[in-house]
Amino acid sequence: MMKKHRNLLNYSFDCLRRYRMRTAVILITFLIATTMISAVLFTKDGLEREAELSVDSSPDLTIQYIKAGRAEPISTAYIDDIAKVEGVDRVLKRTWGYAGIGSNTYVVVGLDPTGLDYSRGVITSLESGRFLMPEDDGTGNVVVGKLIAGMLKVKVGDDMILLSESVDANKFHVVGVFSDESSIYTADMIVMCLSDANDFFKMPEGMVTDLCVYVEPDQIPNNVAAKMTSMPNVRILDQDLLLRGYRAAYGARGGIFTTLWTILLVAIALIAFSQAIVVGHESKFEVGLLKTFGFSTLDIIEVRLVESAVLGFFASSLGMIIGFVYAAYFNAPALVDILLGWAFLPKEFHLPVLVSATSVFSIYAVTVVPLLITTVVPAWLNAITDPELAMRRAAA
Amino acid sequence: MIEVRNLTKIFNRGKFNETVAVSDISLKIKDKSIVALTGPSGCGKTTLLSMMSLILTPTSGEILYDGDNLLSGSDNFKTNFRRMNFGFIFQHINLLPQYTTIENILLPLYAFDADPKEYEERAYSWLKKLGIYDRATHLVEQLSGGEQQRAAFVRALIREPKYIFADEPTVFVDEETSRIIYRIFMELREAGKTIVLSTHDPELIKVADEVYRIKRGSLA
Repeated sequence: MMKKHRNLLNYSFDCLRRYRMRTAVILITFLIATTMISAVLFTKDGLEREAELSVDSSPDLTIQYIKAGRAEPISTAYIDDIAKVEGVDRVLKRTWGYAGIGSNTYVVVGLDPTGLDYSRGVITSLESGRFLMPEDDGTGNVVVGKLIAGMLKVKVGDDMILLSESVDANKFHVVGVFSDESSIYTADMIVMCLSDANDFFKMPEGMVTDLCVYVEPDQIPNNVAAKMTSMPNVRILDQDLLLRGYRAAYGARGGIFTTLWTILLVAIALIAFSQAIVVGHESKFEVGLLKTFGFSTLDIIEVRLVESAVLGFFASSLGMIIGFVYAAYFNAPALVDILLGWAFLPKEFHLPVLVSATSVFSIYAVTVVPLLITTVVPAWLNAITDPELAMRRAAA
Repeated sequence: MIEVRNLTKIFNRGKFNETVAVSDISLKIKDKSIVALTGPSGCGKTTLLSMMSLILTPTSGEILYDGDNLLSGSDNFKTNFRRMNFGFIFQHINLLPQYTTIENILLPLYAFDADPKEYEERAYSWLKKLGIYDRATHLVEQLSGGEQQRAAFVRALIREPKYIFADEPTVFVDEETSRIIYRIFMELREAGKTIVLSTHDPELIKVADEVYRIKRGSLA
């Protein structure tokens, strides 16, 4: 039986060659569609991965002070109350905000270097230099993101100037550069010691932006958070909530992806169907002829299945490769603004692209499956018709 | 032996354009013979031939090959029977235009567990016999009607089937090729093949062992 299957396989490839126009139309359509959708999906996957890495670097719980529904600086007096909650390991102060250099805006984060957990998250992953230590407090030493280092052309040992809200020039000294393990999270980040950040942002005495709570290793953060709900005017953010926030921002992008998927599906179904009609008469005749020669219904389905699968998989795979290159190496021009939304993306920044098995499978599912259905089903219908009638109808 | 019992074919049954193409025909065809079906155009020759060769399902009746009623078999069974036993020469030739002559000839072999290339020598030998050896690698759309008919002839014989069904096999060929075809049919009969053909060609009718005349779907 092997020779027969080889014959059918050869015949399928011959069909691709013979129906050149249909092959070309489907190939081009699939290439455009899968290039677009794979660039979007791979970038979305990359952004979601970034979000997960970012959340890994976050404290178990983040406590913010809420006034009139908005986050405002929180008093460090809360620390004593929070530290008394059962299951809380330690509470760290954090002050963060934004600063401009030229026309660009960067994230400035002030951390208490005495209590940082260096064992987890990407925030301590450095390309060069060192991370902040307790003795850096008040010295103006900073660790900067790789993107900033590249844009400002600074390296470990160099000084840099940041303008505060009051447009005062503040000089800082670079002691470390983040690696690009988490490109988005640390790319535009400047990390400094808490007192330096408080000075820079001119925070009132005893106030910080938020409090970072780390729970004991055997505790579940949500359970610990539940014990803090009685505290007045605070919002407690756990890692799941942060992740959902990131995903909402970077992930689905408010239905854009759904729309793209729908357009893709409809386009592919229409094109595949129209091509099935274009070659329909010829194909109908051919199926009738093959049946006359003794090709069984299964043989004909096998031929059409292989033909469509080869075409669909080849076009989709090629489209995915082009989509990956388009996003990873060319930063997906025309798509990048939709993908990142409000997120700041300097031109030097490279999109974090990730090829996930789910996305690859999804793309194959929405491209190859409709093609298989629109080619195999008509072939099957023709194959179960009397060969003479199939040929006669095709000739009519 | 092929035996046809009370074969009827009605197209578009129950509709306003219902057509009785073949009505209650019974006939017997002995093995190793040439049988000609004749009659005016539209009399039902092709429909009868198609039903006998199992590519068209009759409305009623029976078709027996060596005593077995093949119409009671499944579609798969009929397909297998066709593959193993039948060769076809169609009135409209029915070659695939994007294929070369030799590719068209070898096409039926794709359904077999065999390498079509093993049959190339036989195919070229037939092409030589029919005078179109030099057209083997040409696309069939580049061939004349007569050359296409001869290519279709070779395609039908490539597997040396037991039964050959030919619908107007000499309609597009010149006199000389017609004579070659008559001779080949006779040689095939000598080789034990059974040939059922529909034709208007009086010379071909002369070659037949038995002639059935059909008029308005019935035996005249």
